[in-house]
Amino acid sequence: MNRMHSVFLLDYTLRSAQGDLQKTLEAVRNNNISIASKEVETLDTIIKIPYFVLDENLSESMEKIKLAIKKEVQKILGNLSSKEREQTALLVGTSLVDQNIVEAVESTVYDYKKRAYKSAKKSIDIFADEISKELGLNPFTMTISTACTSSVNALLEARNLIQSGVVEYAVVVGVEIFSQMMSNGFSSMKLLSSDLQRPFDLKRDGLVLGEAIAAVLVGSRESKWSIMGGYSNCNSFNITSVSPTGEEYAEVMQEAMYLSGIGPKDITLLKAHATSTPTNDMSEIHAIKEIFEPSLLFTAFKPYLGHTLGACGVLELALLMVSIDNGFIPKTLNHKESIIDEYRPLQENYSCDSGIFMLNYFGFGGNNTSIIIQKERS
Amino acid sequence: MKLYIDAYSSFRGKVDDINLKKELKQKYKLDTRRQDTFIHLAVYGAQRLKERVDIESCDELYITSGAGNIDVLQKTNNYVCEEKEFIKPFDFINMLGNTTSYYVATSLGLKDKNIFQISNKFTFINTLVSVYASLKNSKKNAIVGAIDLVTEPDEVIKRVLGVAQETSVTSSVTYQKFSLSKQNAIGEVEFDTQSYSLEEIQSQVHQSTYDIMASMRCKALDAVKDDEFFETMPSYYIAYAMETKKNILYVDCFDGVYKIIKIRSLV
Repeated sequence: MNRMHSVFLLDYTLRSAQGDLQKTLEAVRNNNISIASKEVETLDTIIKIPYFVLDENLSESMEKIKLAIKKEVQKILGNLSSKEREQTALLVGTSLVDQNIVEAVESTVYDYKKRAYKSAKKSIDIFADEISKELGLNPFTMTISTACTSSVNALLEARNLIQSGVVEYAVVVGVEIFSQMMSNGFSSMKLLSSDLQRPFDLKRDGLVLGEAIAAVLVGSRESKWSIMGGYSNCNSFNITSVSPTGEEYAEVMQEAMYLSGIGPKDITLLKAHATSTPTNDMSEIHAIKEIFEPSLLFTAFKPYLGHTLGACGVLELALLMVSIDNGFIPKTLNHKESIIDEYRPLQENYSCDSGIFMLNYFGFGGNNTSIIIQKERS
Repeated sequence: MKLYIDAYSSFRGKVDDINLKKELKQKYKLDTRRQDTFIHLAVYGAQRLKERVDIESCDELYITSGAGNIDVLQKTNNYVCEEKEFIKPFDFINMLGNTTSYYVATSLGLKDKNIFQISNKFTFINTLVSVYASLKNSKKNAIVGAIDLVTEPDEVIKRVLGVAQETSVTSSVTYQKFSLSKQNAIGEVEFDTQSYSLEEIQSQVHQSTYDIMASMRCKALDAVKDDEFFETMPSYYIAYAMETKKNILYVDCFDGVYKIIKIRSLV
């Protein structure tokens, strides 16, 4: 690979239901995973669902969410001078419901909630806009909403901005916080597990939602971690799923490798999307089988962190990076019996400190993304 | 940064003036089920673009908006939060930003990159910057859609757009097909990430030979302003410049910070 034209991953941070970066690393390393629960309300029932809770209070206020995001962003801006900050764009990926609109609806439509007219430009990008201003970053901000591929697509957009010289650096944030409407939606589609996520396992029964905030700093300054390439498409069987053969997933994986100038044998390990839903895992394992030999090393992170929707792109990237920086790749928790015998995800933590890694992300709306990153040997 | 305009489509006005569902079903033979008005408007604009230009399955798709799909949030908020009903699966799906871009992509036969994005400030100009950066790398073409839907009561959208209560807001859907190549271009649009002070923008306006149009937000700037408002107005003025074969310098403003796009007709 020609590293002259590369975009490098300079720093990362995360805050998951397991704690900050260090606590999450230790929880993952020791398989000491805690899962809380949330209540989803309906007219006549309250359903208790397992949930990876970051902070019980965050979902209450946009301001609290903003402060939590800002705290993570500040952690990875430490080494940038004020001049470099001015050359740093802020991109967010999320599938959060825009509470600004909800507030505007409630303040206008319902008599008992009516408030005097007050208007300020507030979209879902308000987090990025305000944080950028407060931290002296470049005014270019953007919030991408492409379901579960939101923050990884934000990362690819950031890469484009840097490669084309629009900015020198970008902070890419993935954020997802509990929402009654989103949880209600997943529940109504019968996609939630009653207890645990079991990626690629015969007994998988759905996903467990989670909250998280994660961020990466990318730029043209050389570092050990680089983004080799990536590809994103919108191709599916219908709006919520791809073909059982997974051909749409296979297409993004192959194109990502092509654009990175590598082949299947160059991949050290694949981080699967692995939602643990019956259909999506089946499609993904078929796509993997289509491209890779059974000797492929692959794993899945959602049993540690939950399915954090728009945040999972950057969150699972950050977890992979911190794990490898600490010499290992986490095993696939809760996996016992594989859907396809020859293709079995990691059963034990795997020693690894460098290599080429593929990360898959697939979402509703036909959005499929695969990226390839590399860590140079020390 | 410069993008060439291969084609455009534009509609602005009250969506009630056209029967969107009927147009989509009868004229364009599209399935409109499980969608809402915001998605219908987005698909309608896309179909009007498709009438004017060849669209390749590998064209990239970018959709932007001032506030996103208020329609679905207003509806679901009412029955989930107020009436404590369970959310309907397709309302849940339609709440995701990229559901709109999915239906647009499907109706156009697109299978490549598909991004739904919003910037709190200068959302359309920032989208142009992203498109430019993407095309520089991919060497493909891009379809860019800008959608703003006014729901009833219009006070809801006014509250999130940051405009005065007496502002006249309207719905709009505008598309362009952009390229980095001049070969099939009917126009070009120039833009950058630079922002200007009032004095600097006044100087730009004074020196320009282009017709000047400004957003209502540019209160301190002495320039012709549209008497209606929607967030993605620069996109509309690209269509307007192509339609009237005029060269237009469009000025937008947030909190005293100005940005411009220069639109030039090439025919």
